[in-house]
Amino acid sequence: MRSGVIVIVCLAGAVVSAGPEGWKHDFSGKDWSGGDACRVCHVRGTDAPAVAPLWDANADLNRTFGTPLRESQAAGLGTTLCLRCHDGTVARDAIAPATPQTRFSNREHPGRLRAGHSTSNHPVGVLYPSVDEDYRPANRVIASGTVSLPDGRVECTSCHDPHDMSGEKYMLVRNNARSALCLTCHRK
Amino acid sequence: MNRYRITHLLAWMIAPVLVPAGLLNADDSVVNSKHDLSAYGPGPVRAVSEDEICIFCHTPHNAAPQTPLWNRVNPQTYYRIYESSTTDARIDQPSGPSKMCLSCHDGSMALGNVLSRPATHPIVMTQRTIPPGRTDLANDLSDDHPIGFRYDRALFNSDRQLRAPEVVSFELPLGAHGEVHCTTCHDPHDNELGDFLRVSDRMGAVCVSCHDRDGWRHASHAISKKRTPGRNVDPTERLKYATVADNACLNCHKIHGAPQRERLLRFNREEENCLNCHNGTVATLNIAADIAKSSAHNPDRRTGVHDPDEIPFAMRRHAECVDCHNPHAAQPNPVGRVRGTFGQTVKGPNFNVSGVTITGRQVDSARFLYEICFKCHADGISRPRNVTTRQIFQTNTRLEFRTSNPSFHPVAGPRRNADVVSLIPPLRVGSVITCTDCHNSDSSGASGGAGPNGPHGSVFSPILAYNYENDDFTSESEAAYALCYQCHSRDSILADESFSRHRRHIVDIRTPCGVCHDAHGVGRSAGGGDHTSLINFDLSVVTPADTPGGRRLEYEDTGTLSGSCTLTCHGFTHVGFPYSNSARSKRQVSLPGSSQGAGR
Repeated sequence: MRSGVIVIVCLAGAVVSAGPEGWKHDFSGKDWSGGDACRVCHVRGTDAPAVAPLWDANADLNRTFGTPLRESQAAGLGTTLCLRCHDGTVARDAIAPATPQTRFSNREHPGRLRAGHSTSNHPVGVLYPSVDEDYRPANRVIASGTVSLPDGRVECTSCHDPHDMSGEKYMLVRNNARSALCLTCHRK
Repeated sequence: MNRYRITHLLAWMIAPVLVPAGLLNADDSVVNSKHDLSAYGPGPVRAVSEDEICIFCHTPHNAAPQTPLWNRVNPQTYYRIYESSTTDARIDQPSGPSKMCLSCHDGSMALGNVLSRPATHPIVMTQRTIPPGRTDLANDLSDDHPIGFRYDRALFNSDRQLRAPEVVSFELPLGAHGEVHCTTCHDPHDNELGDFLRVSDRMGAVCVSCHDRDGWRHASHAISKKRTPGRNVDPTERLKYATVADNACLNCHKIHGAPQRERLLRFNREEENCLNCHNGTVATLNIAADIAKSSAHNPDRRTGVHDPDEIPFAMRRHAECVDCHNPHAAQPNPVGRVRGTFGQTVKGPNFNVSGVTITGRQVDSARFLYEICFKCHADGISRPRNVTTRQIFQTNTRLEFRTSNPSFHPVAGPRRNADVVSLIPPLRVGSVITCTDCHNSDSSGASGGAGPNGPHGSVFSPILAYNYENDDFTSESEAAYALCYQCHSRDSILADESFSRHRRHIVDIRTPCGVCHDAHGVGRSAGGGDHTSLINFDLSVVTPADTPGGRRLEYEDTGTLSGSCTLTCHGFTHVGFPYSNSARSKRQVSLPGSSQGAGR
């Protein structure tokens, strides 16, 4: 929904930065972006594929992961779209060398992310464990209004807002003071 | 009232604002527990400005390659690990989750050193590392409950004092291969029970989840409602609960940082663990007072010698409380005054103590009290030596009390000797007595006092319940031989009802009982005459007599209440000097069961 709003804003032709000053996804200053903050990820016009949110039709959305995902752990768009850049194979010069912290590829096999339960990264593309006493009920998580669980899954966008509307560090969907973001789901 | 209502209402209105959803300060949350190291944390150890809580241990990205998204580097410390002579577990260096705990709790690494921060800019903390104290385990894990061993079927099979791993509560999770880790007992996120325990340590609940000690369920230490007043028990640490039963294991054991490493005991000197309560402060009876007496089983004398795994025959000489008592199984003594006729199976205080049987076999749980005594006073290489040199010199009490001996005090079994006519009812020929009928505290219940029973100590040596004089030329009196006169009627003895010359020897010539009689018993021996009626002469008083057949020292049993002596004593020389109590012997000989011994 929020993404939709921004797309509309962009379509209106207003050159705006979605996030606050210094928003890290604002690549409008880069040569390859053509000076357009939205175009790096989003497509204008009507030839967009039937994939929300108006994603680049040439994007390889069927990227295979290093570890075969079980059906229940197939990552949704909220993960695959992020990994389009953050897996370390695309725009490596732009992302990988500069910020290894945000490159989530399998180090031995670049481009093949170990999704599902990774040992070094929070799991994505996994169903939210609603019946585990260590986690809060999914409906309460959703009711928090901050953390989203698209299709009942934990995705990158559950915690991160690529447009950084809140202006929090690491583009988090909410402030993590007192680990409030973590404790939205984790009952610890 | 109205004012109260408004305040109340206000509180309810403000509460949701102050407390963000998901941050309710429940006791079972890491939030506001001591593991909340954020700047808002409750403890003295916390961050200066960092406001996140999870970040000290966890990070969502680029964590250490170990679950659960670990944000710290494992310490490379080599730990001194727990060792014990009684453990069957193979204890290794800590691993897995334990290592994660130790990344803070061994005090070697900076608390703010997390992977998600550059090493040059760690989280700034009020204390760089965990401060010394009870939570700082340092690199010495030998004084802590062992971790890093597999609690599996094999361990259970070799250590029968543990529960089968399958029946251990699911509340206490073992590692991937069944190892015990810090996290088996502790849940780092939940401090509801204190000390981040998963199961309460009240009444030892967390301990007995795994440890299944024989006799513990009914043991005094598990059920006593006696109060444990603060520092009287352990001057270094306040006990957690108010009564002995609630403290349970914690009365004696310290799970972390125990001064006595091998058994995780509160005190390094074995007896201090007992005497801190059994000195009259907590327990009813004052054992400490008895132990301080001149003749005593004094556990003070040796430290570090006792080992639960020791072999009675080979151990160095020592006497610790736990040699005779099992603190995991001891119960009160329901009998109180023990006087022979009760038989001699062990009573509450001595339940589940190892022993040596009359046949010399080691047993894990003694059935009879004397079996406990035999651990030290029988075949052991370091057994006490007799103070009296006798015809037949024997320091092995097990051999002295054998029921096949010519004569013995009926400790290991009854004796049917019709010669014993002096017994005071309820004792009779055929009664069985215990070691503690003679060897007991002079202030014990058995001695008519109010003190504790048992051979802890006495003013009468060697730990005798009553006075007994063994010096030659002692004037006979009720008090001089009070010990013997407890069972053997003084009137009967002095009336010469058994040995017809008793009065002459004891009163007139002032010879103590022990010059002729060997109180424990006399084993078989070639030569030297008969040794019925406990006759085994004290060689410092009685010497051989010159006879036509050479120097001879012997007592000959010629039938019921009759015999003859060949010896020199107090300047007198007897050669085949006979005695007979014919009037009595005629009456006695018809007694049933008198054949054993009487005819020898």
